[in-house]
Amino acid sequence: MAALTVIGVGNRLRGDDAVGPLLIDALATLPDLDLELVDAGSDVLGILEYFEGRKHVLVVDACCMGKESGTLVSFDPAQAELILDKDPMSLHGLGLAEALGMADSLQMLPGNLKIIGIEPDSIQFNSTLSPPVQRALKLAIEKVQAEVQQLSVREEN
Amino acid sequence: MNRDLNIKVHHLTRVEGHGNIVVNMKDGVLEKAHLSIVEPPRFFEAMMKGRSFHEAAIITSRICGICSLGHQLTSLVTTEAALGLEISEQTRLLRKLLVHGATLQSNVLHAYFLAAPDFLGAGSVFPLIATHKDVVLRALRMKRVANDIGDIVSGRAVHPITPVPGGFTRIPEKAELLEIKRKLLEEALPDGLETVETMKALAGAIPQFERETEYISLKHPDEYALYEGAIFSSDSGLIPVENYLDVTNEYIVDHSTSKHAKYNRNSYFVGALARWNNNNSQLGDEAQAAAEAMGLKPNCYNPYMNTIAQVVEAVHCILDSVRIIDKLIDNGLKNEKPNQTPTCYGRGIGSNEVPRGILFHDYTYDNKGNIVAANCIIPTGQNLANIDDDMVKLVPEIINKSKAEITLALEMLVRAYDPCISCSVHLLEVDFIE
Repeated sequence: MAALTVIGVGNRLRGDDAVGPLLIDALATLPDLDLELVDAGSDVLGILEYFEGRKHVLVVDACCMGKESGTLVSFDPAQAELILDKDPMSLHGLGLAEALGMADSLQMLPGNLKIIGIEPDSIQFNSTLSPPVQRALKLAIEKVQAEVQQLSVREEN
Repeated sequence: MNRDLNIKVHHLTRVEGHGNIVVNMKDGVLEKAHLSIVEPPRFFEAMMKGRSFHEAAIITSRICGICSLGHQLTSLVTTEAALGLEISEQTRLLRKLLVHGATLQSNVLHAYFLAAPDFLGAGSVFPLIATHKDVVLRALRMKRVANDIGDIVSGRAVHPITPVPGGFTRIPEKAELLEIKRKLLEEALPDGLETVETMKALAGAIPQFERETEYISLKHPDEYALYEGAIFSSDSGLIPVENYLDVTNEYIVDHSTSKHAKYNRNSYFVGALARWNNNNSQLGDEAQAAAEAMGLKPNCYNPYMNTIAQVVEAVHCILDSVRIIDKLIDNGLKNEKPNQTPTCYGRGIGSNEVPRGILFHDYTYDNKGNIVAANCIIPTGQNLANIDDDMVKLVPEIINKSKAEITLALEMLVRAYDPCISCSVHLLEVDFIE
């Protein structure tokens, strides 16, 4: 089992919503990282399968947090209120908030779950990221690297 | 009853995309009853122009974030028709297996997470998780088996990668297929039959409403058509897929950014109930027994029963997947390379049944194998006029109920069609607890 499971959520054709899957692509090119990488696309319910039997999970998604475009926030879902079914852009049956709520009710949440949320600039159909989210993507890569390092240090101790 | 009624359900929840229900009645006369679609058009057809035949399926699979497989396969079939690429029997069987997996997954999730909360009067699936944990876990188990089929046969559960024009870039191993078969028989089948029991228990809560309409689906001489066949209308019979434009007759209405469709009547129905009505005699004994147990009969005109037809199909897909795996193994798995040498260029038209109904893609290629024109007609667009016509009949029939009850009946009606208006974005909205 890899030290850390990283799950990228989002649609590659919807501008900054692609940041999750693109992070997975970027991490796949880096050598020597003990990671399990999952591009969940928009099938958010599918991420529950990657919670099972995993201790450390990081979910990366474009998040509407009311912050400046490109702002990256790493948080424990318990620290935040994930808004169910109100955002008009996620009336997709089930979004990440719903999937996490479901995992919580089913006691399927991994012991250490973090979300890296990145505030999008635009989620219109587009195959490129906006400049602020491109910068956030670099930060997110560093975050994941730091997280793996921290986990391996903890493991060694 | 000379009643005034104004209903506007803004951004209908639990429907994939953006839809508003609008009903206006003045002095007992219905002035308006329709589903208004406010999702902006996405111009996929324009995005396709200039793309090579290798890229078409990759782009169109993103039309829908969940049911990517359907668009991908229809795209491949369309490209193969345009470029004269023959496919092998093995490719055909592997694709049928993928279609079964996708149909199983979509139908089960719709029944459990979108329709069942309506039948239970629960508002949403969330209050049900704590009280019906075993049912939710069952739904997730069935989803997982479907994902496993996607993983093994198409390389990935969402946005498949190994199906390409002319075949597959990787053929699954025998052991992998046998493992899927084991899961289908040991997990999915018992779960599927339990699902029938669950839905049977809820059947009493399904609204009794009937409106006979035209039912359109694929039809195949030898099987319950999902992957291939000719177009069939319950009004006028068979039509070649190449003549799909004679069937869809898309037109624009003021209240929707999505086009409507009509054929022999003002509207037609596509999806599980249309497939059931047109092809139910081709289902096996187990699926027939499931239909009977849940009260679904041939020539069913109750749109709310679409969910029940989906569950019947789920049982069919589980068992037919086992049959396909057996056949693939009996034939001996061959390490074939995809046939990607065009024998002609020009226009190709493809059609499959995807979970929500019949899907058409239509591409024209230039002699370099690049797309010069594309048209995609999705099932939900074809159902919109039918939903409106249902509403126009339904509202006067239930006008004596409270506004809340009428609203719920209309919401349930729309959700019964399982519309996928735009399932493309998952943006998490967060408020931080300061």
